[in-house]
Amino acid sequence: MKIKVDHTLCQGHARCYALAPAIFILDDAGYILPGDILVPEGQEVLAQRGARACPERALAVADKDDAA
Amino acid sequence: MSIAKSAVPDHVPAELVHDFSLFTSPGMKPTACGNPQAALSHLHTDAPPIFYAASNTYDGRGTWVFTKAEDQRAILQNAAVFSSNRGLFKSALGEDLPMIPLEIDPPDHQKYRSLLNPLLSPKRVDALEAGARERAVRLIEGFVAKGSCEIMNDFAFPFAVGVFLQFLGVPDDRRDEYLGWANDQFHGTLDQRQAAMRTVVSFVSDMIAQRRAAPTDDFIGFLLTAELEGRRLSDKEILGIGVLLFEAGLDTVAAAIGFDLYHLATHGDDQQRLRDDPDLIKPAVEEMFRAYATIQMLRQAATDTEYKGIRIRAGDMVSCPTMVANRDPAEFPDPDRIDIARETNRHNSFAYGPHRCLGSHLARRELVIGLEEFLRRIPSFEIKSGTAPTTYGGHVFGIENLVLSWG
Repeated sequence: MKIKVDHTLCQGHARCYALAPAIFILDDAGYILPGDILVPEGQEVLAQRGARACPERALAVADKDDAA
Repeated sequence: MSIAKSAVPDHVPAELVHDFSLFTSPGMKPTACGNPQAALSHLHTDAPPIFYAASNTYDGRGTWVFTKAEDQRAILQNAAVFSSNRGLFKSALGEDLPMIPLEIDPPDHQKYRSLLNPLLSPKRVDALEAGARERAVRLIEGFVAKGSCEIMNDFAFPFAVGVFLQFLGVPDDRRDEYLGWANDQFHGTLDQRQAAMRTVVSFVSDMIAQRRAAPTDDFIGFLLTAELEGRRLSDKEILGIGVLLFEAGLDTVAAAIGFDLYHLATHGDDQQRLRDDPDLIKPAVEEMFRAYATIQMLRQAATDTEYKGIRIRAGDMVSCPTMVANRDPAEFPDPDRIDIARETNRHNSFAYGPHRCLGSHLARRELVIGLEEFLRRIPSFEIKSGTAPTTYGGHVFGIENLVLSWG
């Protein structure tokens, strides 16, 4: 599973980080690092919950091979 | 207070005018044992999703009101068109003193946020946790044996305001005086508002002058030495930042603590669930932020624009009451049900978009700490019989006279 990150939409709510700090890595200001996230196997549910927590809709769950 | 009733501008179609005011609609005036957030839920069935309210500010100006979460997100994310530079101090005092970063639009806004974000990031808040917890414990231990307390004055204000003043580097021995200024500015008459704004500006100016003479390792000290694009901040910038943070942190967290303990005092099942499973406190805090949000975002159209076919003219005010979007059934299933274990909870209580509340991570942590320590030390509690808290709407929603008893 992959999490697509729209870095321009991130406003530093850190709701993803609160649920899954090992998956959603923040910079020193508290904003998500740019670049899509490959979710380690076994952590899909946690990653999905983190993505669904974003108030700005900056995170979307995508299939690993989804090139779009 | 003199209310100059605004006429509805001629570009607003009659069918979009709705009789509504955050200050005077049912449930907004001070009410015994009210629920001002729930009192606005009916807008999702009784009003157009976007409507025009002819008198919806403290001084009687008209605003558009956006009720749906999706639409508030679109407005608040588009800070270039829906500006938050409303010149609050300029219009009230004739003084050009932008509140920074709130009243700065993109792209300059990002420079100031980049400077300030690290000071209140989730990781930095970790460092403030121990002191905040100690403060909460000390306050609770001070009244636990009495079997009763008035939450706002005995706990919520001294805890939340104390934590924030410590962060700013301001001694909290004059806390009640500061709260009086905030009360005058957010709830007072026009004259009281202006006087309070002048007082706060002069207080922060004095603080800056003192810190210049005798440097300190605190927030103002940081601003005095901070660099922005290779230069020091000007006195006006430091004042704009200092005044905004001083005011933003004073009573919002306390109001949230009040509404949360009011909910738990009147919903014994939720209170017991949190005692049985303290891991639920974090999702419960988010759920109560959603259900009991206290502020509205006000924006002003910078240009003529159109949103979903509605013409909005440059200068129009746009109100995004967070407590209304937070009960939007399209965003939150069964929105009037308080589900302390609610999973997907993308509430708007700290706004959306670039002006997302800078202090949100500290606020959340204070709520979690406050509830953890309160539930750990105070046995089953309820509203003290014979008393009734007062709730109110307006520019900032709040609760007063919340007397709890236990044991």
